[in-house]
This record gives sequence, C-alpha cells and structure tokens, in this order.
Amino acid sequence: MTGAQLVLKVLQQHGVKHVFGYPGGAIMPIYDAFYDSELDHFLCRHEQGAVFSAIGYARSTNQVGVCMATSGPGATNLVTGLADALLDSIPVVAITGQVFSSLMGTDAFQEVDVLGMSLAVTKHSFIVEDINDLARVLHDAFELAQSGRPGPVLVDIPKDIQIGQVDFEPYPIPKPELPEFSLEQVEAARSLISHAKHPVAYVGGGVGMADAVDELNDFLTTTKIPAVATLKGLGAVDPTYPYYLGMIGMHGTKASNLAVQECDLLICIGARFDDRVTGKLDTFAQKAKVIHLDIDKAEFGKLRKPDVAIRGDFKKLIPQMKTVVDIGEWQQQVSDLKAEHAWRYDAPGEGIYAPALLNELSQKLPHDHVVSCDVGQHQMWVAQHMQFTSPTNHLSSGGAGTMGFGLPSAVGAQIARPDTMSVVVTGDGSFMMNVQELGTIKRFQLPLKIVLLDNQRLGMVKQWQELFFEERYSETDLSDNPDFVALARAFGLKAKTIHSRFEVSDAIDQMINTDGPFLLHVVIDEKANVWPLVAPGKANHEMIEG
Amino acid sequence: MKHSFNIVANHKPATLERVLRVVRHRGFALQTFNVSASDSEQVAIELTVTGERPIATLQTQLDKLYDIAHLELIPANADAQSAGIRA
Repeated sequence: MTGAQLVLKVLQQHGVKHVFGYPGGAIMPIYDAFYDSELDHFLCRHEQGAVFSAIGYARSTNQVGVCMATSGPGATNLVTGLADALLDSIPVVAITGQVFSSLMGTDAFQEVDVLGMSLAVTKHSFIVEDINDLARVLHDAFELAQSGRPGPVLVDIPKDIQIGQVDFEPYPIPKPELPEFSLEQVEAARSLISHAKHPVAYVGGGVGMADAVDELNDFLTTTKIPAVATLKGLGAVDPTYPYYLGMIGMHGTKASNLAVQECDLLICIGARFDDRVTGKLDTFAQKAKVIHLDIDKAEFGKLRKPDVAIRGDFKKLIPQMKTVVDIGEWQQQVSDLKAEHAWRYDAPGEGIYAPALLNELSQKLPHDHVVSCDVGQHQMWVAQHMQFTSPTNHLSSGGAGTMGFGLPSAVGAQIARPDTMSVVVTGDGSFMMNVQELGTIKRFQLPLKIVLLDNQRLGMVKQWQELFFEERYSETDLSDNPDFVALARAFGLKAKTIHSRFEVSDAIDQMINTDGPFLLHVVIDEKANVWPLVAPGKANHEMIEG
Repeated sequence: MKHSFNIVANHKPATLERVLRVVRHRGFALQTFNVSASDSEQVAIELTVTGERPIATLQTQLDKLYDIAHLELIPANADAQSAGIRA
C-alpha cells in the first residue's frame, strides 16, 4: 500500500474514527486515501478550526483528537491550537503534509520548516525521513500524546513518503507504563493529612485527565476535606459535595480563596500553581504545608516547594490518601464562608444579568451536557455560575486563554458525543475569531446551541482598562458588530435576539427545545464586569468586588 | 550559578535545537555546548549553563525531552574538583 494509505490504517489501529482537517497540495495523497477509507473526515473551514475541533473531541472524551493540514500555511495555522493543547495537556495528534524531501530546504512552494516551528508548541514532533519508519513514528506519536502528562504531538510527512510503497504490519498497542510510588511517601502524606487542622484539596485538570474523578470524590466524601478547583479542574468535584467551594484564583469564589489563604495543609492534586490561581505567589496559602500529587515531576517545586511530592497514577494514588481526620471546627468555618459568600442573582434593572442567565441555563440543561466556552468575561461567568458533573463536560481554554476556542471545540465535542447536548457560550469578540466554523455546523447539520453574550466590547480587556488603565478604552469598542442573527441564519441556524431579563426563561427553553442548531444572541450591558477579582500582583485574600 | 550536564540523546532531527530551546526558555544562559556524534544512533552533549533559578527546574524539563536517553547533572563541587585537577 502507499504511505498515505498506511497513515489511515495506523489511525484505525489506534481506534480513531473521526479526523478533522483541511486539504492542500502537500497532503493530497492522504486526502486521496480518505476517499476509500472508513474513517470519517470532517472538513473544517480553517486549520485552526480543525485543531480546536480535535481538542474539543479529546477533552470531551479523554481520547486522542486527530487533525490534519497541508504544508506551509496549513501547518502554521495549527500552531495556536497546538500551543493551547500543550498548555492544557490535551492529547492531540496533528499530521501535516510536507513538500517532497528533495525540495525541503529550497524554499519550495508552501514550504515551512514545520519541525522547527513545532518545537515550542508540542510535547514532541517528528519528521518522517524513511517510509519504513512511518508506522513506528505514528505509533510513537499516539503513545506519546497519551502517556504521562498528555499533550500534542505533530508528525510531518513529506509527499514522497505519502506516495511511496510500504507493507502494512499488525501492531499490538502497548499498555501504558504507569509510574510506581513508594509507600513511604504515601505514609508521609497521610501523616500530614491526619495531623492537619485546616486542610484543603486543590483540584486541577490532572484528575479528569487521569480518569480519577470517582477516586477523588470517594477521597473527599470519606475525609470530608474541603475542596476548591482550578478552571480545568471544574467538574471533577461533585458540585453537591457540601464542602466544595468552587473555583479558586483571580476570578474564583471568595470562599475558596479565603479558605486556601487560611489553610494549614494544601493537597494539590493534578494542578500546577498557575499565576491565575495563586495571585502573588509568596502570599499564596502562606501558612500551609503542601502535598503535591502529579504525573509530571517537573511540576514539583517549579513554583511552590512541596513538603511531600508524589508522582503517580491518580487512580491508584488518590485512594491511598484516605486517612482519619479531625476537622469538625474547620468544616464549620468553611460552611460559614460558603454561606456568607454565596452568589446573588438579584441585579437591578430590566437588562439581562449574564450570571443569572448562565445559572438558569445550567439548571435547565440536561444532566450530561457539554459547555464549550470562548475566552473572556463570559468564560469566567461560566466557570462561576454553571455546574458540571465531569471535567469532560466543561471545555475551556485554560493555560493559553485562546479566543476562538469555543465554536470549533464544541464541533469536536458534538461529533464525539452525538447524543449529548453541546452548548457554546461565547462573546462577541471571541465568536468572530473562528466564525467560519458556522460553515462546519451547516455542512454536518450539528445541533449546537450557541449563547452569544454581546456587550459590544472586548469585555475583559475593557474591564482591565477601566480598573488599571485609567479608563483609556483603547481598541476595545466593538459597537460595529455584524448582525449576528442574520449571520447565523445565513449558515442555516435558527436565531433570535433578547434584550430583557423577562425574555430569558422562554428563550432558553426555545433554544434547548429546538431541533438543530440555534444561536441565542443576548444583549448585555457593556458596564457589566466579572467579580470578584484579584488584581494582578495582589494576594488572593485582597479580592475586590464591584 | 554555573551548572553542567552530560547528556546522551538520540541522534534525530532537531534534537540539539530542542535542548537549546529548553535551556533558553526555562531561564538559563548557555556557556558551553560540546557535541560529539559517535555513531548515527546517538549524540553526546556536554552542556554548561548559568542561571539564577533552581537547576532542578531545568533538569526536569530537559529530562522530559523524548529524545534524551540519559541526563546527568554534574554536581557543582565535582565540577570544581575536576577544574582543580586540570589546573
């Protein structure tokens, strides 16, 4: 068979059924092989749409997402998505066509040094130099993308390799090797937990990635230790757990930030002390000893020195943390904090209060829905005011904070989980960054629901200009936005606009009950800001509120 | 602070670029970089860097590179001793 046919065969060996991509000259042999393949290829309308769809596919299933692009501009258009996947540890395999080997290095048409370009935005990258290495490289790519700390892997395949002849051989997929941890370390951690008076579990995205949500909740309900979550950890802790305080950090809940600042033991489970979480680092949980559990030892001590650090598979490691604690007084304190700082939805006026709308939407959506966000104020409102029962149901660009993430990642999630309702919550700034993916929705008749919160501004930047740049609103006015309803209708979506809080309830019902895709255009006040807020360079207990 | 590594890596496209990129990106400055490709399979790298950050933060990031087969951080005092011997 040809190298191109072998590529698709190897994908099938790894259980791949869906591929997102965009064809072009240097990857035409692989696209020709799709013509006779059982694999489903989804044509996105931009390579960035393809890579974010692969990310949405991966995040909503915990499986590898696969995307393809041609050489040169096709490959360069993948870069933002690869960086996004690297910062959020998402298993993605990207396959790029490359010009003929004989032309590489001659500045040939659509030639870019993709291997060189990939170094800063992938976990690893390959160029295939010999057709006899092709299958092994692809197998390695899948193994690398998923093993240890997951991440994006790129495979660049010159056109001569794609059209060359090669034999196909069966390949037994190896079981991943998981690191062992010592019982001595476990004992040290358990001792810290049992002696703590004010412990808090700081839950990150690593729990969901390790498929250890059940183990985490078993640990929490057994010990009744209070828990907070990072943006990527949302959905890991059962939202009904009485000592769950919600998100921590810059736009976290007041209760979670205050509890962490007061704790004497921080049990960091699959998180990385990101600056959006810690605020001013040397003031973060100052009184606390730290237990750090992670799959990536490079995270230990990178920003905060742990007292005990254990590298291991969370499915085995988290159950080992269970021990007897005596924290009744602390539980009461935490419950009081939670009650004192509960969200309020009684904003004045007839305009639409976005947090109240999102809270109502969350309550009305089916239990196992997926919400995919873009980036900005609406993203933080989703994190604050919607509830999730699994990290695979909350797709949000965390580390990279990539505007334009929401629509294509929801496309990937909808294709991965066709029976699940997928909702995009976006803003008028972010929506325009990958708006061409409405074409993908139209082509595949995807029943996505889109909630577009429109304040005619780049809201989060504008909020910072208001607070930290003396209200100098440089380049954040979007009052010349297009007619979003007309735009949606042009792509075959049903759509409507609402302006008043009295329209919210019926509009949400209409959206949920509509067969097929729907865009709900929600006009909100440009003055609405996200609160609370930890200002840059401040400690987490110095939150400000509007 | 000055630190030295002995590295054995797979001799693959971009192996050396990856090492150099990680050194720079993680906040260290390159002092010396000696490479010898003893065969087509592997390449030996002697690396000396300076930086104010804890060297473990660079060591663990280098260690994660897929093509690095062996990584050894030469203790600062051993380096001083061998320098003394050479003197």
